[in-house]
Amino acid sequence: MDIQNTQSQMRKGVLEFCILSIIRQGEVYPSDLVDRMRAANLHILEGTLYPLLTRLKNAGLLTYRWVESNSGPPRKYFVMTDLGLEFYGELERTWKELADAVHTLTQPAEEQPAELSTEETQPQP
Amino acid sequence: MKKVININFQGRVIPIEETAYDILKQYVDSLRRFFANEEGRDEIINDIEGRIAELFGESLKKGDTCITDDTVNKIIASMGRPEDFEGEESNVKSQLGGEGNKQQYNSGYNAFANDPRGRLYRNDTDKLLGGVCSGIANYLRVDPTIVRLVFALMVFGAGTGVLLYILLWIILPSKPLVSNISSKRLYRNPDEKVIAGVASGISAYFDIAVWIPRLIFALPLVSGIVSSIFRHSFWWDGDPFPGVVFGSFGGTLFVVYAILWAVIPEANSASEKLEMRGEKVDLNTIKNTIQEDLEGFKSRAEKWGGEVGEKAQEWSKDFTQTVNEKGKHFSSEVNYAARKTSGGVFKIIGFIFKAFFLFIAGIIAFALLVALLAFLVAGIGVFPLKNFFLEGFWQNFLAWSTLLLFLGVPVIGFITWLIRRIMGVKSGNKSVGLTIAGMWVLGLISAGILAFMIAENFDARARDKQQLTITQPASGKLIIKVPDSKVKVYGRWFKMDGLLSITDDSLFLNNVRIHLVKSNDSLFHMEATKYSNGSNESAALRNIKEMNYGINQQDSTIWLDRGFSLQRGTKFRNQGVVVTIHIPIGKRILIDRTVQRRLNHFDVNNGRNDWDSDEDWNDNYGWDSDVEYKMTAGGLERSDKKVKTVDESQNDEDNSNQGALDNFKKSKEDLKKEFEKKQKEVEDLKKELEKPIDSTQYHYKKATANNAPAATKTPEATTQLEDILDSHMLLMQMVL
Repeated sequence: MDIQNTQSQMRKGVLEFCILSIIRQGEVYPSDLVDRMRAANLHILEGTLYPLLTRLKNAGLLTYRWVESNSGPPRKYFVMTDLGLEFYGELERTWKELADAVHTLTQPAEEQPAELSTEETQPQP
Repeated sequence: MKKVININFQGRVIPIEETAYDILKQYVDSLRRFFANEEGRDEIINDIEGRIAELFGESLKKGDTCITDDTVNKIIASMGRPEDFEGEESNVKSQLGGEGNKQQYNSGYNAFANDPRGRLYRNDTDKLLGGVCSGIANYLRVDPTIVRLVFALMVFGAGTGVLLYILLWIILPSKPLVSNISSKRLYRNPDEKVIAGVASGISAYFDIAVWIPRLIFALPLVSGIVSSIFRHSFWWDGDPFPGVVFGSFGGTLFVVYAILWAVIPEANSASEKLEMRGEKVDLNTIKNTIQEDLEGFKSRAEKWGGEVGEKAQEWSKDFTQTVNEKGKHFSSEVNYAARKTSGGVFKIIGFIFKAFFLFIAGIIAFALLVALLAFLVAGIGVFPLKNFFLEGFWQNFLAWSTLLLFLGVPVIGFITWLIRRIMGVKSGNKSVGLTIAGMWVLGLISAGILAFMIAENFDARARDKQQLTITQPASGKLIIKVPDSKVKVYGRWFKMDGLLSITDDSLFLNNVRIHLVKSNDSLFHMEATKYSNGSNESAALRNIKEMNYGINQQDSTIWLDRGFSLQRGTKFRNQGVVVTIHIPIGKRILIDRTVQRRLNHFDVNNGRNDWDSDEDWNDNYGWDSDVEYKMTAGGLERSDKKVKTVDESQNDEDNSNQGALDNFKKSKEDLKKEFEKKQKEVEDLKKELEKPIDSTQYHYKKATANNAPAATKTPEATTQLEDILDSHMLLMQMVL
């Protein structure tokens, strides 16, 4: 069993959830989003983020507005829609269940997902 | 020192090093290819380009004069190359692909969190019909192509595949699945193809030389060629090619190819091509592939066109497209789901059409080849006869050059072309083709000259009439037969009408025809007219002198010679014999079956020298074998009775006929007797029934205690009996 593969699988599973949770807090520019995730020690390639955002937008979970920029072409700022909020709510519930389950099961030795959950879920009201 | 160019990138003018521009361009292209199947591809690319432009702007703001390789590489590293987000993408896709409804998100999420293998679904993302096969493949983690092949084979196994497929289609839920096989996939290779790239795709999959699968598929063609040669050698009048093309072996491989064509996807995009070869998809390999593509395209452009297969394929492709479009257009008006399905159906119909057109084209090409081969083999077959046809060195020379150049060269050329195609050798220089064409033209010319010279040798015609003496048959009936030859020749190399056998020094011909005419007196007469062609009158007469034809008589039976032989040195000049039989009025004649079977008439230049129209033959009558005719004042007439066919070993026909008649008469009398007996019985029964009813009833009751309705049946029985009687009478009338 490839440990790296398992780790990346674990990360990827919550990627979408994390992205949505950041956008939920307010309008965001993709590259800022990457920075914030990086700051939280969750690495994502920008090249991966754009298609993901586009798909979420096409699914009606996100929307965006153009903002003029002085350093380049106009920027796309992403905002969450009502549908996105609803979707996020469900994801959050699932995540809490999962995190609790993982936490309970891995009590003696704490694992990566548990660590992530504390970081990512705390900012939520 | 580097060249700097200005590019318009996302609406900004960016000064960039040329090499850096190349890297950037390649990168964007690789992204474009990577997201080729993505719905919002342009938007994604646009977003990424926008971000890159922003980063460029920042870099320029910092004071850089232009964008360098380094900057571009750094940006690319932060954005990630397609091969970097390959793994992440696939998972993200699994959560976000498809229609994007909430349930699918959740199920996708759960599926990931639990066992990714999960349940058996129909695959919504990769399907030809209902996605059953690719769903199963996903579940089993194998190449969908393999599962499709298994289903296609099951269709041929009594159609179980169809039922199973429909069943699974109904049962299984549909879900967009992500391809979970990372290794090689079986694709059709569009770059290296003779028909549809099936063989070269297979060779890429199994890592074998491309000619191996091609040879296997071409085997029916090769074996067809061989078998057609054999067929032509032994059965001249056979028609071999349907047997070859539709024969079990050849047919199977054609069908297999068609199935593979339909089932295996074509490797169109660069990443698919890499998957086909089992190489890892990353930017460099993609770049290499694209470069190969371009080179391949260049060389392909130089390839000589006009190949039947490709033409047919192109055409069928257009046709398929039209059908697809039409079908899609029509069904889109119905509803979305129907459209998806019928799209698949039309795709499959398209494949069938494609395969069908190709099949037809293949048959046509193959028929042409076989026809050519037939000529060649016929030429070789006639060759033992050439000494009887040809005169002098020049004709022999021309015959050889005709055979080799006119017939042999195209066959060799075609076979060479086929082998080259199979081996994937690119066509060589033009001079070879020109030489071949020149040789063929030479062959054509020599064929023409030869035909002309031979025709010259048949220019004049002569005939010689000779009386055959016969004794008049006592019965007034003449029977004409041909004896069995003492020596039977089997396994003839070549069989031709009129030609009986050929030995080293003689040619035996049975070119004999029988004419029946009315006799001028009351006697039977027979005469043999020998005729021959020649380059002039005297040559023709000389040819006639060599011929010898006679008859034997046994009572009323006349045995005709089986034929006449030409000695070596005598040329074949359409020699023939007409036996004329003069039949007096009131006399009968029967021509045995053996005549038609053992004598064979042909006439080489029938139209030009029509001796049939000579005044002598005007009153010639047509006849059938084994029919007895009687000459009357009005002409030849069939005798009333059709004589039963008699086995040729039985010489005494009259007796056997008599016997048959006797048998017939005897059985008739037997029938008569039996009928009389039956009649008597019936009469007796009738009498009994006509007795007073009471006693009958009593009698019946006594006889059959349990038979209660017997009494009521009695009148019925009477009528029944009468019916039987009537039918007997009718039968009797018929017999008599």
